[in-house]
Amino acid sequence: MNAPDRYERFVVPEGVKKVSYERDTKIINAASFTVEREDHTIGNILRMQLHRDPDVFFAGYKLPHPLQYKIIVRIHTTSQSSPMQAYNQAINDLDKELDHLKNAFEVELARFPGGSTGY
Amino acid sequence: MDGVSYQRFPRVKIRELKDDFAKFELRDTDASIANALRRVMIAEVPTVAIDLVEIEVNSSVLNDEFIAHRLGLIPLTSGRAMSMRFSRDCDACDGDGQCDYCSVEFHLRAKCINDQTLDVTSKDLISADPSVVPVDFSDSSGFDNSENRGIIIVKLRRGQELHLRAIARKGIGKDHAKWSPAATVTFMYEPDIYINEEMMERLSLEQKRSIVDSSPTRVFDVDEKTGQFVVVDAEAYTYDDEVLKKCESMNLPGLIEIRPKEDSFIFTVETTGAVKASQLVLNAIDILKQKLDAVRLSDDTVEADDQFGELGAHMRGG
Repeated sequence: MNAPDRYERFVVPEGVKKVSYERDTKIINAASFTVEREDHTIGNILRMQLHRDPDVFFAGYKLPHPLQYKIIVRIHTTSQSSPMQAYNQAINDLDKELDHLKNAFEVELARFPGGSTGY
Repeated sequence: MDGVSYQRFPRVKIRELKDDFAKFELRDTDASIANALRRVMIAEVPTVAIDLVEIEVNSSVLNDEFIAHRLGLIPLTSGRAMSMRFSRDCDACDGDGQCDYCSVEFHLRAKCINDQTLDVTSKDLISADPSVVPVDFSDSSGFDNSENRGIIIVKLRRGQELHLRAIARKGIGKDHAKWSPAATVTFMYEPDIYINEEMMERLSLEQKRSIVDSSPTRVFDVDEKTGQFVVVDAEAYTYDDEVLKKCESMNLPGLIEIRPKEDSFIFTVETTGAVKASQLVLNAIDILKQKLDAVRLSDDTVEADDQFGELGAHMRGG
């Protein structure tokens, strides 16, 4: 009866920002990114990619509540970098990795007879 | 700062490929990427499924909503889904979900006129778009079972009738499982099995056999002729630790060591038939890329911080 619409889980409501950024008030080079309507899929790959960056002291994410459809990514970096820079770098690297993966998969697919796709 | 990159270059090797099944190796990446791909394949790759049903006549034994639910679960060929619009953000029809960009219409009309029970199946659904039709499973199993009748929706006896109009829409598995193109998607770490040959040589044939038998799956075997202890199928290992416990109990710790290769995965992908297995993987990569693109910082956020950043630099610099 009063159940929320199912699309609430993945459609960002009007007037709400997809990503909001909040600096830590006490620690320099630490910040939280609140990402609306995302979950472990994005949270975990971002976190693991951030861990590859030697300028990142700390990177973690949490899903505060299963019925609040958002994640919070927290990043603390050295003075050589900034949370925003690390965040952008992680996304760029993941994007390139997926480009590479897609290409690798397509090359493999071409080796297979009947490996063409689509209907 | 620009120019540095911590990017990885994953490798892929396809082992087996059929229309609705794929098995491949994914290497040089980590579990987060493997799991993200799995999650996207199950819940976020779009397909088309029946979402709205208008029933005109239904004198069958099943009630209207029961039939509507069954129609929703029928897989439809969804090669078009990636380029279709979600009806909620379709401008052409104000979200009514009644236009060609975001929907496909189906009709079904069936009546039983004799004493033979009539099976109403997915084959009786008439589509307005030849590229979106109920999935045909006819020759996927290899042998031809005389007549392929599709998925049964309801059975009618003499005099019963079913007449309806249905609208199929694009959607994702997160919304409702009927839109999920995946039947099962799994991945496992590739096991790395090490056998201490020196210790193994000192064992009797019985001892070797008892180790082989301790594994619930057939991972090891003893060669009939040479009496050699060999790994026959490393991937049959389910990380159950039974062989290791057996070695421990025989006072032979370190005889066998098994560790998962943390950057190497074996994927199996099975689809409902809505999209080909190979296409499902490619679509999942595309969707994941789109999702990453959506979580990029917007320009106004960066600007707002730049001003704040200067202030912060002043404060820090003194």
